[in-house]
Amino acid sequence: MPGLDVIVNALISGLLLGGMLALTALGLSIILGVMRLVNLAHGEFLVAGAYAGLFLLQRTGIDPLVGLLLIGLILALIGYPIYRFLLAPLAGKGSEAAMMTMFGLSIILQNLFVLLFSADTRAIERDYATIPLMLGPISVPQIYVIGFAISVALIMAVHVLIARSRFGSELRASADQPLAAAIIGVNVSRVHALTFCLGTACAGIGGTLIGVALSFTPTSGATYLLTDFAVIVLGGLGNVLGTLVGGIVLGVLQSVGGLTLGDGYRDLVGLVLFLAMLQLRPQGFLGSRA
Amino acid sequence: MSVLTTSVPERSLLLHHPFVRVALSGISFAALLAAPSFLPAYFVEIGFKLLLYIVLAEAWNLLAGYCGLVSLGSSSFFGLGAYVTVGLLNHTGSGIGLALAASALVAMTLALAMSRGLFRLRGLYFTVGTLALAEALRLLVVNVPWFGGATGLFVSADLPDVTELFRDAALLLVVASLVMTLATGSRFSVLLRAVRDDEDAASQVGVRAFRVKLAAFMVASALIAIAGGLQAIKLGAIEPYGSFGLQWSVDPLAIVIIGGLGMRFGAIVGAIFFVAIGELLADYPELHVAITGIILIILIRCAPRGLCGLLETALRRTGPTKVASS
Repeated sequence: MPGLDVIVNALISGLLLGGMLALTALGLSIILGVMRLVNLAHGEFLVAGAYAGLFLLQRTGIDPLVGLLLIGLILALIGYPIYRFLLAPLAGKGSEAAMMTMFGLSIILQNLFVLLFSADTRAIERDYATIPLMLGPISVPQIYVIGFAISVALIMAVHVLIARSRFGSELRASADQPLAAAIIGVNVSRVHALTFCLGTACAGIGGTLIGVALSFTPTSGATYLLTDFAVIVLGGLGNVLGTLVGGIVLGVLQSVGGLTLGDGYRDLVGLVLFLAMLQLRPQGFLGSRA
Repeated sequence: MSVLTTSVPERSLLLHHPFVRVALSGISFAALLAAPSFLPAYFVEIGFKLLLYIVLAEAWNLLAGYCGLVSLGSSSFFGLGAYVTVGLLNHTGSGIGLALAASALVAMTLALAMSRGLFRLRGLYFTVGTLALAEALRLLVVNVPWFGGATGLFVSADLPDVTELFRDAALLLVVASLVMTLATGSRFSVLLRAVRDDEDAASQVGVRAFRVKLAAFMVASALIAIAGGLQAIKLGAIEPYGSFGLQWSVDPLAIVIIGGLGMRFGAIVGAIFFVAIGELLADYPELHVAITGIILIILIRCAPRGLCGLLETALRRTGPTKVASS
């Protein structure tokens, strides 16, 4: 049995990593909630964000944390044409068509990453990723704390955007009643485009943070897609703050799983939780009908 | 719930007379069994791969095309079949036939056990659930020490040569074809389509939607598991990243979308096309998958009924009298 300080450390890093997971899961969640689209390329957007952070640092020397908003903007700019040219024409053709299009995109991106950037495992190397932050017996890498703070701030910002702004009310209207929203003059297609860009930006920024805190490969995306789904199941779809709670709960559970069963079981914990939730409490997924 | 295809019962391009059909099927099966005796070794290899892909695609088409269950978890049953088959061959000394049958049974049991969670939430969540199942099984096999970890297991029993495996695969294809004939031509086919097109309406008129979906899911899982077992015997060794690899979920999907979702000959046409591209691009596996993705996106957008759909439309346009609607 590991010592108490090891356990506390693991729980705290799980909590902090969970906050970063929540940010990426938010990207998946709002696209699913508003557009009813299972974005199967979500994991690849996340990995794209990590590569963006890596190359921004290598080519221009801009620190990925300073460039986070720029990375978000880049991912949003990648997201817009994908919505405009791949998803928008499929409106009204059923949700499977859009989902499988995103699946096609995900395998294209995954293999493009391998072709362009090689299959190597990468990490964005910064001092703050390795230097620990000490607080008594607790020591976690600084990036965990920084990443958690940034993630929580961005999640709060998205929450305020959706709950308070005019765009937010249009977004909620489009999510609940797309037809009725269109009738009262909401440009649903525009809302969808912006939602998709916001979703890819969240995935990309979260991906950069994860790329600094952990390592990534061109094929990491699938794991994060499923982990993020587990977060959404735990937190409830369309619930921004619930996503944060779900992310933290999953992060801690993953740490517990890694600590008790071995590190290889970390990801398995999320998947088993997800499948168990489907069996036992699927209403955690969608408030209304699926 | 909307589906990619329309509800029009599909019309086969071939002759409709039952006798002609049976005769044609018999002749093609005999030709298949005889083929490995005089084909060059390379073509027997390719032929085995093609047969395996057709079986996987038929199973996927049964689920997605005829029952509306878009699965991304074929690899869970493929890998399960591989591990069960190899385990039985190594530890009980049972014959190949028995091991394959057992793997089918185990796959059906897993399908039954997972059905409650996977079917409770409809449509898109089935897809994500099956994807999670495949990933969970792979991680389980990697981490639990019994299964040889990431290095996998070797088959210690004597292995049949590829000619024999080709015949086994041909036999499996016959079983799959019979299943598909039942699923597309019997009373059950009406139930399947009813559930696919509008589950609520089907339930209202007394269709037990859950059972219909479960039957399709179990049958498809069994077929996929046997295919996985055959592939494992062919390779003589299994490891989690190969047997539970995402490609076993992606390829059947791609084949059916290319050939024609919910079309009777979609699996065969798609598999031939897919294997041909695979051989052309054999030296560039990443490029191959990327190109597959591009083809998928284009076909979903422009030809949701795949190559078979395009062919049918073309035939109807050029010769409306020849292909009379049946």
